Parts: sequence; C-alpha cells; structure tokens
Amino acid sequence: MTPRMKTDLLLAILLVICLSGAVGASRWLDHHDHDSANRFAEEQLYLSGRTARRLTLAFNGVAADWYWMRSLQYVGRKIVKFEDEHDGRFELNDLSSLDLRLLASLLDVTTTLDPQFIPAYEYGALILPEVSPDQAVVLLNKGIAANPNSSRLYQHLGYIYWQRKDYARASEVYAAGAKLPGAPAWMTAMAARMKAEGGSRAAAREMYQRLYESSDDASVKEMVQHHLMRLDSLDDRDEIKQRLNDYRAQFGRCPASWQEAAVVLRGTRLRIDTAGGAPVDPSGVPYRLVNGGCDVDLDESSKVAR
Amino acid sequence: MAVLIVDDSARSPSQTNLLTQSGLRVYSHVMFGQTVAIARNTFREAVRDRVLYNLIVFALLLIGSAIFIGELSAGQEIKIVVDLGLSAMLLFGVFIAIFVGVGLVYKETERRTLYVILSKPISREQFLVGKYLGLNLTLLVNVVVMGLGVMAALLYVRHGWDALAFSIWPAILLIYFELLIVTAVALLFSSFSSPALSALLSFFIFLIGHFSSDLKTLADTGTSLPTRWLFRGLYYALPHLSNFSAITATAHGVTPDKRAIAGALIYGIFYVAVLLSAAGLVFRRRNFK
Repeated sequence: MTPRMKTDLLLAILLVICLSGAVGASRWLDHHDHDSANRFAEEQLYLSGRTARRLTLAFNGVAADWYWMRSLQYVGRKIVKFEDEHDGRFELNDLSSLDLRLLASLLDVTTTLDPQFIPAYEYGALILPEVSPDQAVVLLNKGIAANPNSSRLYQHLGYIYWQRKDYARASEVYAAGAKLPGAPAWMTAMAARMKAEGGSRAAAREMYQRLYESSDDASVKEMVQHHLMRLDSLDDRDEIKQRLNDYRAQFGRCPASWQEAAVVLRGTRLRIDTAGGAPVDPSGVPYRLVNGGCDVDLDESSKVAR
Repeated sequence: MAVLIVDDSARSPSQTNLLTQSGLRVYSHVMFGQTVAIARNTFREAVRDRVLYNLIVFALLLIGSAIFIGELSAGQEIKIVVDLGLSAMLLFGVFIAIFVGVGLVYKETERRTLYVILSKPISREQFLVGKYLGLNLTLLVNVVVMGLGVMAALLYVRHGWDALAFSIWPAILLIYFELLIVTAVALLFSSFSSPALSALLSFFIFLIGHFSSDLKTLADTGTSLPTRWLFRGLYYALPHLSNFSAITATAHGVTPDKRAIAGALIYGIFYVAVLLSAAGLVFRRRNFK
C-alpha cells in the first residue's frame, strides 16, 4: 500500500468514525433533551405576522406555506401525544383537551404572510372555536377584511357564532354573506333559520351538511362527518327510546334484550344488526340497552362522538 | 472603425449624406455584432463555469416537493408547488445575478483579458453591455427551464392539465425582469469595487428594493423637510423590486393585471438603462494601467 493510499484510508476511517459519533451524539440528545424541548415548545412565536411578512421579502408565499404546514403538524403532534397518553382514543370533537395554545398565533402568521390563504382561515374556523372562540372570530374577521368577496368565510364565521349559541349574530353573518356575488342561495335560508330555530338539531344538521358540501379538505370533511354521525345517532336514540317506551306501555316492563324489543323496532328506519337483532349506530356498532333495558346508549367501541 | 473614415471633400452634400448614412449602418451593425460576440462568450463562460448546475438542485427540490408535500399540506400541494418553484427561481436567480454579475468585470481584469478586448475597436460601454446581455441570456435559460420544471411538477401533482401551468408565466416574466435589475446593480458595483464588496452591496440593494414602500412612508410622514426630501430621493433612487412580486397571487391562481405587468416592465427597462449608463460612466473613467 502506497503512503498516499494509507492516508486516504486513514481519512476514510476517520470520516466514518466521526460520522458515527455525530449520529450517536444526536440520538443521545434526542432521547435526553426532551424536558428542555418541551419547555420551549409552547413558547410564543419569535416573530409576529407583520415582522415575518417584512422579513420574507418576496418569499412570503413560501413562508406562509411553511407556517401552514407547521400549524397542521402542531395539531397532528398534539393528537399523537394525546393518543399515546390515552390508549389511542381521541375524539375529534374534544379538541379542547389538546391544549392548542400556539395554533391561533401560527394561523395568524400564516394569514398575515398570505392574506388570501382561505384554507388557513377555514382550518382555524373549525379547530379554534374549541380552543379559543374569540381568537377564531378575530381570525375570521381578518379573513373577511382581506377577502371581502369570499362567502365561504362568512359561512365559517356564522358557524362559529352558531357554536357559541349566538344565533342572532350567526343570522346577521349569513345574511351579509348571502348578499355577496356568487354566494350560494341557501345562505339566505340559513340566515332565516338561524333567527327562527338556531338551536335546533335540524339547523345543526343543515349547518354541517353545508360545511361538508363546501369544503375541499378531506380532514374537514371527516370532522364534519363525525358531527353528522353524532346528530344521526341522537335521532336514532330518540327513536329507540320512544319504541322502548311503547314496549313498556305494551308489556309493563322494559325488554331484557334486543330480540325481545324486536316487536317494537320492526318497521322503523333504524338499521338492525342481523346477528343480534340490535339497532346499529352510524359507525356500524350495535347500540346497547342500559338501565335495565329502559334506555339506550352507544357502545364503548362506537366511533360516534358522545 | 475604418468604415467611418470617409473623405467628404470631393462629394456633393447628398452623396456625403448617403455615404454617412450607409457608414453609420455598417458601424451600428459591426457594433451590434461585437456586443453579441461578447454576450455569447459570457454565456459560454457561464455554462463552462457550471452555473446552470443549479438547475439540478432546482429539479430535485421540485421533484421532492411534488412527491412529499402532498403528505404535509392538507390539500394545498398545488399552491405550495407554485410558491416553492417560483420562490426558488427568484432565489437561485438572485444568487446567480449577484455572484456571477460581480465577477463579470473583475475576472476579465484579473486574467488581463480585458486589455486584449479593449485594445480592439470595442468601447468600454460595449464591453459592459455585452457582458450584461450574456449573463441575461444565462438567466433567461435558467428561468425558462425552471418554469418548464414548475409546469411539469404541476401536471404531476394534478395528474393532468391545470390552468396554473400557463398562468405562472406572467409571474416568471416579472421574476426575470427583477433579475435583470439585480444583475445591472451587480454590474454597476463591480465596475468600481471588489467582488466581495460588490456582492454585499448588491444583496443590500436587493433587500432594500423590497422595502421601498417603507421609504415612501418615511418620506410622507417625515417631520422635517430635509428628512422628507432625503427619503423621497432614496425612494426614487433605489429599485422598487416589490413591483415584480407576483408569486403569492399566482399561487392562488390570480394572474397579475396586464397594466401592472406592463408598468413594471417599463419601469424595469428604464431602471436598467439608468444602471447601465451609470456603470458605463464609472467604467469609462477607470484607469487600467
């Protein structure tokens, strides 16, 4: 082996050893530096939206995309952490348990960098009301100011007010959105419905159906579907309770099993499990009889939100 | 230059006029040919220096984003591909414009090839313009190939035709004109300064060029008259590069207004002419002995 080859070999070995050392040190840091990482993970963002916009020069669009993906990952990470700590169970309608304190700031920076980024406002409209309804209203009003012709943002703002049970405001927002060019015709009807029966289940169902139809986002559709499933299940349970009351009136006692209750369940719109004779909820899991067969509830394994 | 040496004494005024006109035509033709030759050589040199290798990095970036961004963006991959593609086009272009632009004159003086060129019947202004056009050609190739890359990425992400594949081109034209200004700035600085300092100054001009609206605000809100005049002067003297930013709007499918594009292009042409004239004035006075 020539001296030059020896030097080359030595350098190659050194390179491999040092690279392995760097990888090892990095892995050690990953495993042992969680406390400090977690301590700072929830600190407020270094940059406000306005500062970020000034600093990004002509690259504000790509910076907005970056903050958008950070927002999605922030929520995603929180869900994964929650599932790890709670045996893999997470309800999409229980976002308040996730402690998403940075989400409003992240979405604010995203939309300041790119005020026309409609999906970011829509995402905020669906997630933020569970975390901070006031911040959700601020975000949507900001979106409407930057995109005054977007009827979808009015729809989402109306949804937030509806969730807050402020039906008068929701009605006003829908009415304002309905006047925009290209706004869907149902917004006028929704404005009237909010005023007349804002708190009804029928209004809720229409609200979610419209959200489902107007959104292009798969995760939004999935979330709305969960809400619709819950409403369907509430309707199911109302009907089943009515039938169980009929049974009691007819036989003087509550049914001991679904097979016994079959006589009153026949001819209803409910889906019946062919194996056990139990009606099934919208996620396909059979309901269970509770309170000695006088009442009905969702099964533990049901995917329908409670 | 010999074509211009004409003995007018034995000819009538009309004959002289005709000869002068044809002589000017030949002179312009020769001048144009020389400038094009310099531009062509500058382009070849850039290719030899592997400047266009940045296209490989760009291609990898686009392929990566087109394949993986969909996983992270919740349905916003089209917007992100356009944002990322056009921003990378501008960023890479600015780096090329600055780092190659500042070396245009410096390299020729260092290698002493400038003396050979200037000993020929080529003016210093012609040399500068030729160098400038050569780098512009490099940037044009770069921008067009990158534009086609963004188009291809869009078609891949959409699995078919997307209207954005066409509507990105006005934004690309504006990016190209922004790069023309940055190149002219780099050339101006390189005509009297070292490459490192020229690169630094050019980069500062690029940054300030995107804050020009703040200078206007300062000019409008200044408390004293001299302050207002100072900022107003700076506002008009420095390039308004934000006029050429249409990336974000394009990513939303909004094509810039035709009048705004035309205005920006006219502004760009005037501003480049100013910078090249200034570079010519400085370069004429440089002593190469």
